[in-house]
Amino acid sequence: MDISLVDRAATTGVSALHRTAPAAKLAATALVLGAVIVSTNVLVVATIAMGLFSVVLGQRLKWLPLLVLSLYPGIFAALYAFAAWTGGLWASLIVFKAVTSALAVLLLMFTTPYPQVFAPIQRLMPAVIGDSLLMTYRSLFLLLEKFSHTLTAARLRAGVVGVNPIKSAATVTRSLGGVLLYSIDLSQRTHDIMHLRGYDGRLVVSPMPSASVGVDRFVVVLAAAVAAFALAWRIWFPVLNPYAWLPLAASAAVLVIVAAARLLKGDSA
Amino acid sequence: MSHIHIPDGILPLWLVALGWVIIVGWIALATKMASAEELRRRVPLVGAMAALMLVGMTTEIIPIAYHVNLTVLAGILLGPWLSVITALVVNVMLALVGHGGTTVIGLNSVVIALEMVVGWALFGQLVRLLGRRRAGMSAAIATVLALALSTTLLVAIVAAGGAPATGRESGAFDPTTLSFHNPFGGGVVANVIATKEQPAAVPVLSVTRFATMVYALGSIGWLLEALIIAQIVGFIARVRPGLVFEGAPAQPVRAPLGDEGVHH
Amino acid sequence: MSQVHPHIHREPSADEVVRVSCVRHRYEDGTEVALCGLDVVALKGQRIAVLGPNGSGKTTLLYHLLGLLRSEEGEVRVFGADPAREWKSVRKRIGVVLQNVDEQILAPSVLDDVAFSPRQYGVPEPEVRTMVSAALQRLGIEHLALRVPHNLSGGEKRKVALAGALVMDPELLVLDEPFEGLDPASRDELIELIGEHAHKGGTVIMSTHDIDTVPEFADYCYVLSGGGAIVLEGTPHEVFAQVGTLAAGNIRPPLLAEMFTRLKGLDASAPEPALTVDAAAEALARWKREGC
Repeated sequence: MDISLVDRAATTGVSALHRTAPAAKLAATALVLGAVIVSTNVLVVATIAMGLFSVVLGQRLKWLPLLVLSLYPGIFAALYAFAAWTGGLWASLIVFKAVTSALAVLLLMFTTPYPQVFAPIQRLMPAVIGDSLLMTYRSLFLLLEKFSHTLTAARLRAGVVGVNPIKSAATVTRSLGGVLLYSIDLSQRTHDIMHLRGYDGRLVVSPMPSASVGVDRFVVVLAAAVAAFALAWRIWFPVLNPYAWLPLAASAAVLVIVAAARLLKGDSA
Repeated sequence: MSHIHIPDGILPLWLVALGWVIIVGWIALATKMASAEELRRRVPLVGAMAALMLVGMTTEIIPIAYHVNLTVLAGILLGPWLSVITALVVNVMLALVGHGGTTVIGLNSVVIALEMVVGWALFGQLVRLLGRRRAGMSAAIATVLALALSTTLLVAIVAAGGAPATGRESGAFDPTTLSFHNPFGGGVVANVIATKEQPAAVPVLSVTRFATMVYALGSIGWLLEALIIAQIVGFIARVRPGLVFEGAPAQPVRAPLGDEGVHH
Repeated sequence: MSQVHPHIHREPSADEVVRVSCVRHRYEDGTEVALCGLDVVALKGQRIAVLGPNGSGKTTLLYHLLGLLRSEEGEVRVFGADPAREWKSVRKRIGVVLQNVDEQILAPSVLDDVAFSPRQYGVPEPEVRTMVSAALQRLGIEHLALRVPHNLSGGEKRKVALAGALVMDPELLVLDEPFEGLDPASRDELIELIGEHAHKGGTVIMSTHDIDTVPEFADYCYVLSGGGAIVLEGTPHEVFAQVGTLAAGNIRPPLLAEMFTRLKGLDASAPEPALTVDAAAEALARWKREGC
C-alpha cells in the first residue's frame, strides 16, 4: 500500500533532508513545482527531473519505490497526450511534466512525516480542514489494519486459491462493507474520546525543530535557482533553446556521479 | 478506471485557478451551512470516510487496473456539505502520496465533490421512488449517473483547457501573453525543436478523441463501481438501515459496549 | 492492603468523588443495561475495582461516570456534578483511558497526543511542554516523544494513552480494563503508578476481569453480575469470601481465595483466606508451624 510505504520512509528515515525544517522543504517543493509548471521545453523538465533524482540517490532514499510511484500520474498524462497527439515530443512533455511534479512531491513526502507537512501551513487553513486532514491520517492506519485483517479472514473462509478475479472482487467487496461499518463506529468512538479529552476545534501539531538553519536556507536557495532557471528559459526561450543540451548534460553528469558514489558505498534500494 | 485524475502541468493556469476558487468557495459555503458545533462533532466521521475512500482507491479489486472510489457511498453517508470537505481531504492525501495533481487539487476536488453530492441527491430520490427494499439498485443507478456526470465534467474541463494547454497559457509569468501576439509561433513543439523560423503545427486536442477514450474506459468502471456500491449499500440497508435511510450525515449508533447488556 | 473500610458511604460525605445510583440505559438496538442494586461510591484517595464477567455492564457503568451515556433514571454524580450535562465543568479533573487505546491516540505524534488536552484547554505552549515531559517521564517513555502512534507496540500505545490521561494531573482516573495486553513488568509498573496516584489523594476507578490481581491494587470492589446488577461490594477480602454469591454471578473467585475455601472444607483448622501470594505463603507456613 502506497500510503504506508511513504509514511514509513518519512517517519523512519535519517537523511539530511529528513532533518531539514518542513517549512523549508515545503517552500522548496512549491518552487520546483512552479518551475515544472511554467516549463514548455521537455529538455528543461528532464533536467529538473534528473536533478531531483540525484537528490533522491544522494540522500540514500529508497529510489525504486519512489520512482515507481512517480510514474503513476504518467499514465493519466499519457491519456491526455494521446488525445491531443501531434508527435512524440509534445506527448513526452506532458508525461514528463506530470511525472516530474510527482517526483518533487514524493521527495517531500519521503522525507517529511505527513502531519509535519501541514504543521507550517495549518494556521492558514480553516480548522475543520486541518483537523480533518489530521484525523484522516490517524483513521487511515486504523482502517488499513482492520481491512487487512478482514481481508485475510475473508480469504481464509472463501478459500480463494490462485487469482480468480470475480471471487477476489467479491471478497474485497465484502471486506469493504465490514470496514465501512467499523469506520462509522470508529468515528463515534473517536468523537467520544475527543469529547472526553476536551476537543475544542483545533488540533495542533508541534513543528519539528530544524537541525541546521544553514541547510534549510541552502535547500530553499537551490529550489529558487531551479525556479529562476525554468522561468528564464520560459521567457527567453528563442535565445536559450539551442543550448538546452547544456543544463541537460550537466544534470545527467551529476546524476551519474551521485549514482556511482551510491553504488560504490553499497546500494540499498 | 471510473475516475480520471487530472495530472499536473497539462491545463492552463486560469482553469487551475478556477478550480481552486470554486472549491474554496464551496467549502466556505459548506462551513457556513453546517454549524461550527456540528462540524466539530463530524470531524471524526469526515476523517473515517476520507480514510475509507483512500483505502478503496489504493486497493486493487481486480489485479492491475481497477480500484473503487466509493465516492457515491461516502456521499450517501456524509450528505452534501461534509462531502465537499471530504473530497478536498482525499485529493490532498492522494496528491501527497504520488498520485500527482498537486496543483490541480482544486479541480480534482470539484470533480469528486460533484460525484459525491450528485450521488447523494440521486440516491435519496431513487429510494423514495423505488422503495427501501431496492436500496442496492438505487445506489447502483445513482453511482452510474453520478460517474457519467463527473466524467462529462472532466471532458468539459479538458475541452475548456483548449489545445495548446501546455504551451502559452500554462505559463504564469509569460510577458508575451500580455502582448496579444503569439510569439510561440506554433506552440510547444516549436519550442522543443527550437526553430523559431519554422514553426511546427499547433497540437490540436481532439475533444472527441479524448471523450471517446474516457467514456469507453470509464463506462466499464462505472458498472463495476455500481455493482460494488450496490452490494455494500444493500448490506448496510439490511444490518444498519439507519445509516443510509435516516438522512445524511449518518448518525453513528453507540452499540452496546463489548458484549454487554441483556436483550429485551 | 487488607484494611476494612467502614461502610461510611451510605451517607454522602465530603470525600465523595463519585456516586452512581441505579442508572439505566437503553441502547438504540433495544439492549438495556440497568446498573442497580448497590450504589457505586468512590471516595478521595480510594482505588476502586469494578468486577464482573464479560457483558455485565462494567463499561456501561464507566460511560455513565464519564457522561458519555445519559441515564434515564437514577443519579450520577462526579465531583458533585452530573457528567452527562456538565462535563465541561469537571473534565479537567478527570483522566480517562478506555479499552481500545489504539483509537484513543488522536494526534499524529506521541508528543502532540500527550499535549492534546492541555492545548485544547488553552495552556500556554511552554507550560504544555513541561507538562508533557513530566507525564512522559512518569511513564518512562520520553524516548517515544517524536514517534508516530501507529508504529508503536500495544504496550507502548497503552502507556501513551495513560500519559495523555495523566498530563493534566487529574484527581480522578478512570481506567477501563487497564491491564489488558500489558506484559508482567508493565503491569507491575501500572499497579505502582495507580498506588502512587491514590497515595497523593487521587481516586482511581477501574474495571477489570483480571480477578487474581485485584487484591494487589484495589482498596474496594464492586461486583456486577449479568445485566448490570450490582451484587456485592467491599474490600477484596470481604468480597472474595462470598464464594457462593460470586459463583451465582458467574464470577470465578481468585485462585487463592478458592484454594483457601476448599482447604477450609477439607480441614477446619485451615487458615483464613489470604489473597496475595506473599500473604498466602506466610499463612500456610504459620499453619504448618502450628502443626496443622
